[in-house]
Amino acid sequence: MNFGRRAFIQAAGGAIGGILVSPLPWQLAADSAKWSQNWSWRPSPERGEITRAAGVCTMCEGGCAVQVRLVNGNRAISIEGNPANPLSEGGICPLGASGLQFLYAPYRIAQPMKQTGRRGDISGLKPISWEEALGELGKKLGRMRAEGKSRELAGIISNSASSMSDLWLQFFTSYGSSNLFRMPSAADGLRLAAQLTTGKASPFAFGLGNAEYILSFGSNLFEGRGVASLVFAALRQWTREGKRSVKLVQVESRCSMTAARADRFVAVEPGTEAALAMGIAHVMVRRGCYDVDFVKDKVFGFEDWSDNTGKKRRGFKNLVSSAPYTPEEVAKVTGLEAAKIEELAEEFASRQKALAIWAIGQADNVNGAYHHLAFAALNALKGNLKPNGLVSLAPAVPLAGLPPVQKDPGADESAGPPGLDVVRSGSAPYRRYGFYEFLDDVREGSKCSVEMLLVHEANPLYSIPENKLFEQALEKVPTLVSFSSYMDETAAKADLILPDHTAFERYVDVVGIPCAPFSYYALGAPVMKPLLDTRHTGEVLLRLAGSIGAPVRASMPWKSYEEYLRFRVQGIAQSRKGAIADKPDVPIIKLSSAQSVQPNYSSGEELWKKLKSGCCWYDAPSPVAGFETASGKFELACRSIGAEGALGDDKLYLPHFAPAELSGSESEYPLLLVAYKPSYTTVGYLPTPSFMNKLIPDKVLQGGDILIELHPQTAAELKFAHGQRVFLKTTQGGAAVRVNISEAARPGVVYMPQGLGHWAYDLYVRGKGANANSLMEVHLDPVGLMGTLLPCRAQLRSEERGNL
Amino acid sequence: MRQKKSKALASKPLGAVFSLSGFIVALVVGWIVFPNLLYSKKAQPLNFSHAAHRSEECESCHSLRADGTYSGIPGISRCRECHESAQGNSREEASLISDYVEKNREVVWKVYGRQPDNVYFSHAPHKGRGLECTRCHRDVSKEEKLPAYRQNLITGYSLSTMKMVECEKCHASKGASNNCEICHK
Repeated sequence: MNFGRRAFIQAAGGAIGGILVSPLPWQLAADSAKWSQNWSWRPSPERGEITRAAGVCTMCEGGCAVQVRLVNGNRAISIEGNPANPLSEGGICPLGASGLQFLYAPYRIAQPMKQTGRRGDISGLKPISWEEALGELGKKLGRMRAEGKSRELAGIISNSASSMSDLWLQFFTSYGSSNLFRMPSAADGLRLAAQLTTGKASPFAFGLGNAEYILSFGSNLFEGRGVASLVFAALRQWTREGKRSVKLVQVESRCSMTAARADRFVAVEPGTEAALAMGIAHVMVRRGCYDVDFVKDKVFGFEDWSDNTGKKRRGFKNLVSSAPYTPEEVAKVTGLEAAKIEELAEEFASRQKALAIWAIGQADNVNGAYHHLAFAALNALKGNLKPNGLVSLAPAVPLAGLPPVQKDPGADESAGPPGLDVVRSGSAPYRRYGFYEFLDDVREGSKCSVEMLLVHEANPLYSIPENKLFEQALEKVPTLVSFSSYMDETAAKADLILPDHTAFERYVDVVGIPCAPFSYYALGAPVMKPLLDTRHTGEVLLRLAGSIGAPVRASMPWKSYEEYLRFRVQGIAQSRKGAIADKPDVPIIKLSSAQSVQPNYSSGEELWKKLKSGCCWYDAPSPVAGFETASGKFELACRSIGAEGALGDDKLYLPHFAPAELSGSESEYPLLLVAYKPSYTTVGYLPTPSFMNKLIPDKVLQGGDILIELHPQTAAELKFAHGQRVFLKTTQGGAAVRVNISEAARPGVVYMPQGLGHWAYDLYVRGKGANANSLMEVHLDPVGLMGTLLPCRAQLRSEERGNL
Repeated sequence: MRQKKSKALASKPLGAVFSLSGFIVALVVGWIVFPNLLYSKKAQPLNFSHAAHRSEECESCHSLRADGTYSGIPGISRCRECHESAQGNSREEASLISDYVEKNREVVWKVYGRQPDNVYFSHAPHKGRGLECTRCHRDVSKEEKLPAYRQNLITGYSLSTMKMVECEKCHASKGASNNCEICHK
């Protein structure tokens, strides 16, 4: 027998047959497919017990209660709403639901870093230990204080109300610096207007849940965030009561999501909402359709008045009845018809429980103090400021006050140069909103200097309108210290970074909800161990206070941030006010100051435990009664604006339409640019998370190009086609954009979304469109020195003609 | 010519023998050698005698949680409830105490029936439908020693992982849905 070639082929043929009837080829084929399921880079969820930990969302100011789903108690996998919360009732917005993308983001800062090269060079940022970072910062702060340079420390923090901002204030005060600024927000104007008219430094709050007619001046209620929890609680309330008759009238220039969903959209020229408010007031006064009793008894300055020097001054009635505010004149300014203004005024005046709202929701601070006063005046005419009325003042949460600051020579205010808050000798009496003035002073460098700037939960280099002001100011600041958790634009420029935990790795709290008439407090405990080598900035501040000197240490005696929060919560317990909402059916949105809430907790410890378990604390609104103005009344003529007799023009005491001088010539810049905040981007400290990128429509972002909205008529005049690349230029800067021809735009106006155009973070965030903030111009309000964002003049050129 | 013909005739039965032996060898390789090569045998980190725990109910260790999720193999804290100190003199018991209970370390058991990540399986709807545990799992009531864990060298999955076809057959016979999204969410 010879095993030759033929035999081999015969054996191989048999073997092939044998293999085919064995599991080998089929198993190999199936297994090679399954092998691809286990490639090492494929994400694999951890297995184990699923638990839920309660917390509060701090990604905006809405204070929604949330639950974090965890595997094995330490791996957070999703964020859901908490159905037990009476405000959010289990609801959650896209930003809240994407919250864990910030926890696991590749752009998180993993450990303290120090710039070893040129400022702004990311590769020069080298990791250092916490001991080194704290040692360096403590040493520098100690040296500045010893040299009497306490005032050269400045800080910029988030505009959310939390115990953290109070701790920052305590730190700055005890250190001896008054240069702590919150990021500017639309609520600043509400606070200023309330302060001018009522004498109390709490912002106006609106009883949305009890209103039956809402006249909204540019308040983007449905664009999400800010007051989303409040607005949706009100919407649910209206639905529950079958109040189909609640009418929303939206006054603004662009057909926003809110305008599209409102019962009536009143399209006005951008920035002229206050003129319409004055026009409505004119009609109400002329027809006598206002709350005569309230105005007579509780309002000062409606009729003509005399100041302390005896000089006769014009009152609101006289001013509003004058020529500029007749419907015909207002029609010219706003672009409406005079008959429509009459009709709108009649409707507002005749409807029961009619409320005028402004500066809430996704709103920019587009109005100066006089415009805020004009909107407030409409509510005064409706008598909404009566006890139990629709407008009240945001109530204070009775948290324990911080101990008095121990003064020492290092913090002596009479020594050394004056603080930045008092260097200007202008007439503005309310300086606390002077963020932009501060930037101006620092970049000019002549009046004061800043040795070190601390930035926490803020990204001013990107997110403030006219952001180049911050960039220029930064050039004059030798040391920038960032506490950011993320490598944002500002952190990338820092000289030292001490990264904070993200929200669910630390203790957080929410002190009140903007524009909400009721009191609200919620607490979030860490739901998991910190993922990276980060530290709670509150703990860092306490540690720094301990190392700087005895007086600073004595002002901040807590051993940990948890101990500090416990101390604060004890204040609520001791006040014996309010109650814990442990059921979703607490009618928190309907509460009025006539109701009293009975405490349902017996001790501070019980309150703390319930707050930690995800329940919120609430209390009924407090009545506005008892105005603390010089007249003891609601002041339509705000005498505190100028020292008695100081202002020449009577109008400067009164609400009025005050259009600003726009820079640039109309012939060179024939269009107006308005930046808007859409629901699908974030505009503050946090960037838009990747999940939300999917919500950005093609009409806003195409690839890396941002689209601006242009009315078909304007596009036709400029001969632009849909999608065409053009160059947008303002007096502040320019950007390459594409055209989106949209009926939502007003003719002659360019609308640009905010929240795009980042240049830091990672490739999923940066390089998408342009930053609207770098094109906008900010005007300083003459009363409060607030940065006011008005429409600015702009031009559009086709790209060939543009100078890119 | 004649000689050639006879040689060809003689090679025919021989060719069949060659083919048959190739066929048989391939069958042996395909059915016996290959499966043994494909699956590695791995010992569990510790032996666990189910027989020694016969006094306990199955559910006291392998239970459904209140939210319907399955607890699977109990953690070391559950073992500690009885094994705070050694319950016998065996080497395994000593290891349990010194290596795991005292150090508060979890035993990293190799799970025989674990489904891949792309499969959603919940014990909750299968319980109480007249299905015995042994319909899918091996009978462990008298088991003194844990069997070796056999892992597929290509896929990394356990040999005992139930295949999709088994799920489908049972679902079909019980009238349960076989839609893709029932198991692949």
